[in-house]
Amino acid sequence: MSTATHVQRGALPHPDIQSLEEVNRAILRPLGRPGLGWWALLALSIAGIGLLAVSWGIQLWLGIGVTGLTSPVGWGAYITTFVFWVGIAHSGTLISAILFLFRAPWRQSIYRAAEAMTVFAVMTAGLFPLIHMGRVWHGYWLIPYPNSRFLWPNFRSPLVWDVFAVTTYFTVSAVFFYLGTIPDLAAARDAAKGLRKKLYKVISLGWRGTDREWHHFGKAYIFLAALATPLVLSVHSVVSWDFAVAIVPGWHATIFAPYFVAGAIFSGIAMVITLTVPLRKAFGLEAYLTNKHYDAMAKLCLMTSLIVFYAYLSEFFMAWYSGEEVERAAFWERLFGHYWWATWIMLVCNGMVPVMLWFKRVRYSIPALFAISIFVNIGMWFERYVIIVTSLHHEYEPFAWGLYRPSVVEMGIVVGSFCWFGFWFLLFTRLLPPVAIAELKEVLPRPMRPRATAGAGGQGGDR
Amino acid sequence: MTDGLNGLKRRDFLKVVGASGAGAGVLGCSTEKVERLLPYVVPPEDITPGVATWYTTVCGECEAGCGMWVRTREGRVVKVEGNPEHPVSRGSLCSRGHSSLQALYNPDRFTGPMLRQGGELQPISWDEAEQMVADRLGSADEYYLFRGFAGPSLAGLMSDFAGATGGQVVRYDPLAEAPLREASRIAFGRDVVPWYDLQEARFLVSFGADFLESWLSPVRDGWGFARMSGVDEEGGKGRFTFVGSRLSLTGQNADDWLPIQPGSEALVALAMANVVSGGGTSAGPYRNIVATYTPENVASATGVEAESIRELAERFAAGPSLALGPGIAGLHRGATAANVAVAVLNAVAGNIGRSVHYDAPHLDAPSAGFAPMEQAIEAMRGGQVGAALVHGSNPAYALPASSGFREAFASVPFKVSFASAIDETAAEADLILPDGHFLESWGDSSSRPGQWAVRQPAMRPVPHFDSKQTGDVLISVATRMGQDLGSETFFDHLRGRWADLATLGGAADADAFWHESLKTGLAQIGPAPSGSSGTLRQLDRGLVFDPPAFDGAGDLYLMVFPSARYGDGALNANRPWLQELPDPVSKITWHSWVEMHPNRAEALSLRDGDVVRLSTEHGSVEVPVWTYPGIREDVIAVPMGGGHTNAGRFADGNGVNALDLLPSEAESLSGGLVHFVSKVDVTPTGRRRPLASISGSDSQSNRPIAPAVALADLGVEAADDEEGDHGPLKELQGVGGFVPVETGGRPEDFPLEGARHGEYGDEDQPRWAMAIDLDKCTGCSACVTACQAENNVPWVGEGQVTMGRDMGWIRLERYYEAVDASRAGPVDVRFLPMICQHCGNAPCEPVCPVFATYHTPDGINTQVYNRCVGTRYCANNCPYKVRVFNWYNFTGEEPVREGLGHIPEPLNWQLNPDVTVRENGIMEKCSFCIHRIRAHQDRAAVEGSTIADGQVIPACQQSCPAEAIVFGNIRDPGSRVAQAALDERAYRVLDEMINTQPAVSYLKKVTFHEVDSGEH
Amino acid sequence: MTKRWIRAFAVALTLLASPAFLQAQDGSAGVPVADGEAAPVQPIAFPHTIHAGVNQIDCQYCHFSAERSVDAGIPPVSTCYGCHQIIGGTDERQQAEIQKVRDYWTNQEPIPWIRIYKVADHVHFPHMRHIAAEIDCATCHGNVQEMTVIEEVNQPLAMGWCVSCHIERGVSRDCAVCHY
Repeated sequence: MSTATHVQRGALPHPDIQSLEEVNRAILRPLGRPGLGWWALLALSIAGIGLLAVSWGIQLWLGIGVTGLTSPVGWGAYITTFVFWVGIAHSGTLISAILFLFRAPWRQSIYRAAEAMTVFAVMTAGLFPLIHMGRVWHGYWLIPYPNSRFLWPNFRSPLVWDVFAVTTYFTVSAVFFYLGTIPDLAAARDAAKGLRKKLYKVISLGWRGTDREWHHFGKAYIFLAALATPLVLSVHSVVSWDFAVAIVPGWHATIFAPYFVAGAIFSGIAMVITLTVPLRKAFGLEAYLTNKHYDAMAKLCLMTSLIVFYAYLSEFFMAWYSGEEVERAAFWERLFGHYWWATWIMLVCNGMVPVMLWFKRVRYSIPALFAISIFVNIGMWFERYVIIVTSLHHEYEPFAWGLYRPSVVEMGIVVGSFCWFGFWFLLFTRLLPPVAIAELKEVLPRPMRPRATAGAGGQGGDR
Repeated sequence: MTDGLNGLKRRDFLKVVGASGAGAGVLGCSTEKVERLLPYVVPPEDITPGVATWYTTVCGECEAGCGMWVRTREGRVVKVEGNPEHPVSRGSLCSRGHSSLQALYNPDRFTGPMLRQGGELQPISWDEAEQMVADRLGSADEYYLFRGFAGPSLAGLMSDFAGATGGQVVRYDPLAEAPLREASRIAFGRDVVPWYDLQEARFLVSFGADFLESWLSPVRDGWGFARMSGVDEEGGKGRFTFVGSRLSLTGQNADDWLPIQPGSEALVALAMANVVSGGGTSAGPYRNIVATYTPENVASATGVEAESIRELAERFAAGPSLALGPGIAGLHRGATAANVAVAVLNAVAGNIGRSVHYDAPHLDAPSAGFAPMEQAIEAMRGGQVGAALVHGSNPAYALPASSGFREAFASVPFKVSFASAIDETAAEADLILPDGHFLESWGDSSSRPGQWAVRQPAMRPVPHFDSKQTGDVLISVATRMGQDLGSETFFDHLRGRWADLATLGGAADADAFWHESLKTGLAQIGPAPSGSSGTLRQLDRGLVFDPPAFDGAGDLYLMVFPSARYGDGALNANRPWLQELPDPVSKITWHSWVEMHPNRAEALSLRDGDVVRLSTEHGSVEVPVWTYPGIREDVIAVPMGGGHTNAGRFADGNGVNALDLLPSEAESLSGGLVHFVSKVDVTPTGRRRPLASISGSDSQSNRPIAPAVALADLGVEAADDEEGDHGPLKELQGVGGFVPVETGGRPEDFPLEGARHGEYGDEDQPRWAMAIDLDKCTGCSACVTACQAENNVPWVGEGQVTMGRDMGWIRLERYYEAVDASRAGPVDVRFLPMICQHCGNAPCEPVCPVFATYHTPDGINTQVYNRCVGTRYCANNCPYKVRVFNWYNFTGEEPVREGLGHIPEPLNWQLNPDVTVRENGIMEKCSFCIHRIRAHQDRAAVEGSTIADGQVIPACQQSCPAEAIVFGNIRDPGSRVAQAALDERAYRVLDEMINTQPAVSYLKKVTFHEVDSGEH
Repeated sequence: MTKRWIRAFAVALTLLASPAFLQAQDGSAGVPVADGEAAPVQPIAFPHTIHAGVNQIDCQYCHFSAERSVDAGIPPVSTCYGCHQIIGGTDERQQAEIQKVRDYWTNQEPIPWIRIYKVADHVHFPHMRHIAAEIDCATCHGNVQEMTVIEEVNQPLAMGWCVSCHIERGVSRDCAVCHY
């Protein structure tokens, strides 16, 4: 059956797929009536959003003092989580855009979920710069706009770069995401009934699947991919400059941009695994998200893990090699000081646990991968915590050294942000096809492809 | 920021021109939506709205009697500063003096006379109240008038009053120098507290006298000490040795330390005298005594090797020298003997009449013995006392509980308190007759024969409080009792006395004399004190010089020492500024602590913040441990000033009152209350409380933050010290295209090469800069409070300080270099007032996304409060960590949360109208007092004049007793700051490491011992 | 087709409007002090037309500290009474109003004028500098000699207004000149 010769180069075989009709049915099945579990999760995430709202409300009402932030640690859990989510956002575009350009067809089955994750992650990340601001009601001053006072933002400040980077990234990835879904939305439209049908009708922009449409679609898609690709590298580089540009020992390092980008992809891939494994199980998509896909992701994970771990080591080395008392002290403090536990969590989760991925058996064991991906997520959150907090609490001026402990409000907001993310992702699983039908079909072996005038069902995403 | 300040808005304050009761109405209005402008009815000729008016007066905080300049705006006192003309303050002031504003506007002041009815204080009219006092005193066959420190005129009036109405005046000072006075009588036949001129000495020995913080006249002695120890033109430098069991702030400023056995001051002094006088031969009547106490004989008893004492004595003999003390450490059962020993030492070294003056002594110094108080307590307990009046003192707090004062006082049928605000004694009183604050009252002071100063009211009484000067009350009471005290009002009484002074001073026109003294704030009457030397007299009492007995078992001596912030703290604890001022030694705020040597703590397995119970036979307190290498292992120390139960909202419940651990015992010879007499048990409670300290580390951790240079290396050290060991690094950076700028502080360097990016000034602009001489800085922290008062810096509350959120614009850093309590040797504690460095190449500026912080053309790294959005990036990127953040709104009338800083009415009357009051979510920091600069620029622009060097004086420089701070335009080669920046000791913190090009130059501390040069 | 254009147009409009909206958010340094209204009813119907207009009294005769202080100063009651001891007014209305002044004097009470001009607490406006630079009072306060009832004119004391004038006259635009 799997006559690989006919299959597009690099594509992974899907031995268990019998027919194209089945593809539509299988993938569109989730769009049907949600189960109890889904509702439970949705309720949970909404509760979490409530927690976020209340916590933020308290902070706005009483003052930013309700956080554990203090002098000298002016940034803490908020910025940590901000960087964490921006990082998460990366793999989506990487998988959909870069891998697309590099013709790595194994991406087809996962990129939809990855892209959705990207968009929602940026939406989450975007909250934090606002939350951490002392006078958020003046936050719009960071946006350059003509005003009677002849005042402009300071374009030398990385925070202003952030504003541009994050908003750009959100816009592009959102458009890219939406564009990619159009054919599948059409498929969904054809499968759906009643109100849903109306909805899909509108958002699928009357897609009919003609050759002309496919032609334009292909062009637009590849252009957007090309546009999105540099962003993958630029956004997190910019975020890393928030730190690298400052002279704080432990921040001020040239390695930060590549280090952060690698870290971002690392955490992103891990998050994709964390999200798709339950998805696959719940919606019975084993035939579409095969072990081979996870194997590929695991390899990517392993590689980025190695890069990140190398970055850790080089940081410690440079600190020692610089001979600067302050640098050395900062990194010594990082390893053995008050926050040693955070550092070691980071090292173990990001550097040691992923080493297991060298083994094929691990890469092919879904539970193992899932577990590892959780470790990585935790590890990457702590990486940012370590970079921010340990560096700030032990700077140049010994008399001004101090400690930071996140407050309840901060934890509430951080937890809430995960629920906010989860909320959108849950909606996604129900409203959009979690796997890209059309592209998937492209990589299926030829014999399965019918003539252009195939029967109903297949028509939507078909070509 | 408009919403940054509720209630009294900065501007209303400024626009509402009301030196009258109208003020009160205004404040009511100011919170309304519609804002009213209230003009004067008749404008006082000396007040211009928006322009400060200055008055001279005398500080009423302690007996030192510092001359003051009071800054008023629209009839309100907004700041107090030292009077440069006055010989005691010389233009500077201590933290306590600055904080007197918070006593004036203390929200817990009595709103008027009060009578206790059914346990509750009910308002009563002055007329009724005075009549009542008259009746009760008339009927009482015996009554007491307890008084603390009051100016000569008021004191005189009080004795007249008591004399006329058959009462007894009992003066009580918690920190009385009675033994010193008695010793002066014994040694020289003069029953006085001598006057010390530290600046006359080149070698100073203090036997535990904390003259920089709480002993006699800290501000003046701070000045004298700086003169004594500062490096002079010849590159010489006075030396200071501290002899005592605990390093106080004064001790931390010493060059050498003899950690002696508690109670053995006399032995050391005599042994020194022995050496100085060649075995006692020149010791006059003390020949035999001195002869017996050779260094060798006392070595064991004092715990100091004979060589150390001998060395010390030889330096002392070399002179000109001065021995001080023993101060609080000497207030034990041998106190008088110890003081005599010190007097003898000064005598044999020939210091009498040179640096110690008995002929022109320290008048009105606290020297009342405890004995009269003891008798009064006895009498009150006996029940034959009909009434008790209390003025200017708080014995219910400041006497050890064991004295039984509280009970005895409570048993008196009629108790009157003149306290203007609630305190422990007033809480017991039946009738409250609130006295005015010294800034609203008339009075006078004379700290020394011939030196007189008028205390004049700088504003009408604060309208919230219906207070009346006690002088007037006494007069009117006397009149009601049919007695005539010779004048209608206290003012007349004062003028009368000053008329006499005028004739005494040979002034033709009494009125002219009076007005002149009001203007200058000082009157010199009679010739300046001569330097006649005293000669030792025969002993007329038996003295025991050996260490006295200590009560209790165990091996831990208990020292209860006066706080560097409060002194005894009896009357001045209800002030957020003082409560939140980090103690100069421990850097702890708000609460009490017990100082314990690290080894001792380890032995007891205690850490910082572990709460322990200290107990003596007289009582016990629970207090957290603070480990301190500057105290002997066999001594623990607790500061006074804590543990108030009824002194107002800011004071109550903070810390413990350590006096409860002490017996109430008068020293046999002088009758002074003894403080240092007990041993103490320490039992861990197992509880912990985080210390509300601002200290992140006591060690510089090998960083050139506060380097020092050995005296020997001065002038020798080449200029390449500028480079430090970072030369290669700089070359490296040079290759990378980034060439760091040499900031030798040369005027022509400005604007700095590397600083020519964007906003920096062009040639015609000044470059404001500061220089701080760390060799002069004593860490007294006066600048911290002065800055807080000047710049509306909020206080944040104990919890916030514990979190590290204190908002002081000046962080007075304190690093230990050499502190060893185990044997005699050098002390090296480094103080460094860390403020915004106003870097030429400021790391905070590029990172601010909205230009809220940037460089002004005149070189100030400014903070535009109303532009700040609160990302805190600037603070993260500031290597000096001098930026403080408004985590809450600390400037409202109500606290945002329990225990947070706030400014309740009428405390907000003190706010400086020239400085924006900041709101929640804003970054702030030292502004170089930019409003003062702008004020001078405005004046110059209007008058078409220019600003001369030294005209612009920031609040910190203004208040510094040591005159360690210089401010000016560093581009003017002639300016003092430019000169200082070129000094060989000048350096800029971290500059050579990160090229920030600070505008603040520090001058290295100069030590006598070797320091590894360059670094620290 | 047209529908789509309308929609597009609407979108475009909102986009263009947003900066304007944000600008509106700039807020003025001025603070509503007179309950919003520009010309509130004052305790005494004081006519600047007669004092400054007809009688040509110099502004600084009453606003006495303008040239030597940051504050222009509000005339003390004694100043008013100084003249109105003699001047009683011609018609009833005037006499009635002037009587109020005399009453305030006899009761020794300040006149509770309602404030018209006020800059925010974080703005420092030194009057004397502007007098010294020979800026006409009218530049900011309008032609008061033509105002029977004093009202806020020219501007809401917004920062843009100050800055544009500073630019015109080529004087400092440095933030820390006014904000500290």
